[in-house]
Order: sequence, then C-alpha cells, then structure tokens
Amino acid sequence: MNKTLYISITLVSVVLGLMVAFQFRTAGRVDSGVPIDRVQLLTTELKQLDKEYATLVNESKDLEQKLAQAEKGRPQASQAVQEELEKIRQLAGLTKLQGPGVEVNLSPLTKGENLFTVRDEDLLRVINELRAAGAEALAINGQRIVATSEIRLAGSFIDVNLTRISAPYSVLAIGSPGQLESALLIKGGLVDTMRDWGVSVTVNKKETVTVPAYTHRINLEYAKPLKEEG
Amino acid sequence: MWTGIILAAAGLTVGILVGLNVPLVLPQIYAQYLGLAVLAALDSVFGGVRAALENHYDNHIFITGFFSNILLAAGLAYIGTKLGVPLSTAAVVAFGVRLFQNLAIIRRYLLKK
Repeated sequence: MNKTLYISITLVSVVLGLMVAFQFRTAGRVDSGVPIDRVQLLTTELKQLDKEYATLVNESKDLEQKLAQAEKGRPQASQAVQEELEKIRQLAGLTKLQGPGVEVNLSPLTKGENLFTVRDEDLLRVINELRAAGAEALAINGQRIVATSEIRLAGSFIDVNLTRISAPYSVLAIGSPGQLESALLIKGGLVDTMRDWGVSVTVNKKETVTVPAYTHRINLEYAKPLKEEG
Repeated sequence: MWTGIILAAAGLTVGILVGLNVPLVLPQIYAQYLGLAVLAALDSVFGGVRAALENHYDNHIFITGFFSNILLAAGLAYIGTKLGVPLSTAAVVAFGVRLFQNLAIIRRYLLKK
C-alpha cells in the first residue's frame, strides 16, 4: 500500500516538474514570438502597405513614361533649333550655297578708256535687278553680297565688302534661271542700256551656280536688339 | 512521511532537469494550454496535501484527480479557442481560487500544530 503511494507521489512530481520546465521554456520565448493581436495589426498594416506599394508602382511607371517622352522630345527640340540656326545662317549668307542660276559677265568693251569702264552703279543696277527677279544668293567676283555689303567706287577700283575687285566682273546669282535672265535681257532693259553705254554684258543660264560664303566678320557694335514687348 | 517528501522533491528535480534539457520545444500556440495544465496540476497537488493534513487522503482519488484535472483544463482551453469563447479564463479563475483556498487551509493546519 505504501509502495503505490510513493510511486504515485514520484510520478506526479516528475510530471509536474516536466510541465513546469516546459512551460518555463516556452514562456521564456514569448519575447521572440509574436502575440496574436500584433499579428492582426501587422497583417492590416501589410495589406495597407501592399496597396500603397501598388499605387507607387503605378505612379513610377507613369513618371517613367513621361520621362521617356521628354527624352524623346529633347533631341527633336535640339534638332529643330539646329535646323533654324542653319536656315538663318543661310539667309545671312554665312554658308556656301549651290543651285540653278545665272552668271553675268561685265567687262568694258575697250580697255584703258575711262569713259567706258564698268562703274559701281552698273554693278548695283545688276544686283538690284537680280534681286527684284528673285535671286536668293548673290556674289560679285567671289564676294558674297549680304545685308551689310557695299558696292562703291574707290579710285579706279570697285570695293565690295571692303575688298577691291576689278574688271572683268562676274556676278553669280542663284534663282530661277529663266526669270533672272529675262529680267536682265528684257528689251530696253538693263543689259540693253549698258550695252549702249559700251559695256560688254553676257548672261549665261547655269544648271549649278556655287555662291561662296561671306568671309568677313559681322559685328553689331551699335545696334542692340529690342526686347519684344509681350 | 519523510520518504514521501524526499521522493516528491527528487521527482520534481528530475522532471525539471529533463524538461529543461530535452531539445524539444513546445510551439508557442500550445503554451497557454500547458500553462493551464500546470495550474490544474498545482491545484491537485495542493488539494492532495490538504487531504493528507486532514487525514482523508486517498491515493486513487489523488492520482485520477491529478491527471483528469490536467486534461480537463487543457481540453477546456482548447475548446474555448475553437468556440471563440475565452474558457481558459474561467479555468484560470476557478483553479486560482481553489489554489488560494487550499493554501489557506494548509497554512491554518500547519499553524495549529
């Protein structure tokens, strides 16, 4: 009888000790574990963050697209500026130009006689006439005629772009060859008049005329651009 | 009497040592069940001590009470979580009250001696 008592007491105490030790170890890990309330809280937070993440991803995609568009637009804009610049340089006469046109040769009929030399006014008239007929680029003896070009008599020579040129004069013009030619050769027109004055004038239509670039510097020292009111 | 106490102390020590050194660790979810079981076991032990002091200790009643209390407490807590009702609280309150009552009675017996 006593024996069973002792056995049962031992058994009970062993089981109790085991359980206490187990529980002690498990409870000791509570800090490292996650309580159930916290799990729910974290789950909702995770869901919210997931949603936020999705919207942010969308936004980033949108922005990337916009960036790509802007990247695409930049070279286009710079190309447009470049093209504009090129056009303006051409209009200003800073580039060599080529195209159909006419070559007008002027020379005095007889050399040495002052009365029948080609005068600056003759050249000016020719240039003026060619411009009126739609010439797009002009040059006299390799001197490009630009907005600031002068043609004037200086002693026995003619200055164009502050450069001395002498006979025979060759005027190059790019434009419609037919129009240019007919403007000069019209009956009672400029060429007729000059021929009467004793100047030999020939007008040749050409498939390609190469007009040189203006080689001098252009400095605007006094003129300043006005700010556009707007 | 003294052999019983010595045996109990030895058994407790052996149990604690084994429990602390076994590599097996109970998952976190079962911690509350085991805690209730420990409470129930403690309640049974104090009940047995009280019965012994009152001289109507019965070994069979003690043993069956010990194990059935453990299983009932753990099972009740389990059912409670399944039902969504905190039955473990009820068990904790019941066992706690009984524990304190038993302890008070044991103290009185010891002081009266």
